[in-house]
Amino acid sequence: MEYSRPENGESVGNVIGDRALAGWEITSVVSSIFIAEWIASVAVDWTRIFVAVPISLAFVLSISSHRLRGETARDLGLRFDNFLRAIGLLTLPMIVTAIICLAIAWLTGARVDFLRWHISRPLAVQLILGFAWGFVQQYMLQSVVNRRAQIIWGKGWLSVLVVAAIFAGLHLPNPWLTVATFVGGVIWAAVYQRAPNILALAISHSLMTWIVVSTLPASSLHHLRIGFKYFGSN
Amino acid sequence: MNSRPRSKLIHLLISKSIAEALLVTLVAVGFYLANSNPDLRGVLDEANGETINGWAVDEARPWTRVEVQLFIDNEFVADKNAAEFRPDVHKAKRAEDDWHGFVFETPALPAGEHEARVYALLPNAGGTRRTLQLIGKPIRFRIEPKQTRLGFPPQKGGAR
Repeated sequence: MEYSRPENGESVGNVIGDRALAGWEITSVVSSIFIAEWIASVAVDWTRIFVAVPISLAFVLSISSHRLRGETARDLGLRFDNFLRAIGLLTLPMIVTAIICLAIAWLTGARVDFLRWHISRPLAVQLILGFAWGFVQQYMLQSVVNRRAQIIWGKGWLSVLVVAAIFAGLHLPNPWLTVATFVGGVIWAAVYQRAPNILALAISHSLMTWIVVSTLPASSLHHLRIGFKYFGSN
Repeated sequence: MNSRPRSKLIHLLISKSIAEALLVTLVAVGFYLANSNPDLRGVLDEANGETINGWAVDEARPWTRVEVQLFIDNEFVADKNAAEFRPDVHKAKRAEDDWHGFVFETPALPAGEHEARVYALLPNAGGTRRTLQLIGKPIRFRIEPKQTRLGFPPQKGGAR
């Protein structure tokens, strides 16, 4: 078998198809997060800065990919025109999830405490920080992974389930958090495909984290630890 | 997506993969170096029903005494500094002085086969973690029924 040697930089782009390239992007972003969670976080003291390397590389790749593909902020879901529509789509699943969480708390006898998310921080500050953290996660999950998954599998349940499975997988080995994030991943990915708005998703992310932390038994969530840190104490 | 931006994206993906592979390698090597001591030397010389002895030296800091832990059948037994008189280690130029040996008294064990392992205790630079590094090779030894000091009949198969 003979392989043709690319003559210049342009011909390299013809070697890989659209779907394979999108799959490679998803794999690359997910592998960066896995590296941060599982390998770099074993570092202690000043070496914790290594965690920033794969995360920064993932952002460099994502932003470069948007630029090279000609995607605008509006395409990615950084917009206000569909904010209310996205909030409307999120409201019912959020209410249902909150009721389920309260029912689990009631059935298991867990103490419901809406102030326990962070003991030394006011709830309003924690909700704002939760929004910022949710914004970053939803940007990576929807604006990058969901959009590339749609290139491979198109809009619909298959790409939604893939996005949710990736989101859940990133929360391993924490079993109950993996289940909760799979459910959240399905809701957020499906809403994003109908009304792409990262701000609404970040608000939902922050509120749902608050509900889950306040209602589900603290022992089952294992302090929301994931990756290698799940097994450690620091 | 045109060919040129596509090729740029491919080059970016390849570069990122190489950078992350280097990072993972760096972290793995760093983790190994932080949690092991390549300058540790030592031998587990003997293990029997009476004593378990050997020596341990940190060649990077030969004036310090290495802390060692004895495990029998994978269970912790005792901890001490390797600071017993061992002139042969000094004479063989493995240590700066005569005091790098360790001698543990073998605890009461049931009759049968047992395995002794001695580990050096290594604190990391920040003191946040401590790891164990095996000294020499494990030694298997046998306690005969007449040697056992447990005060009850030995169990079949040597289980404790």
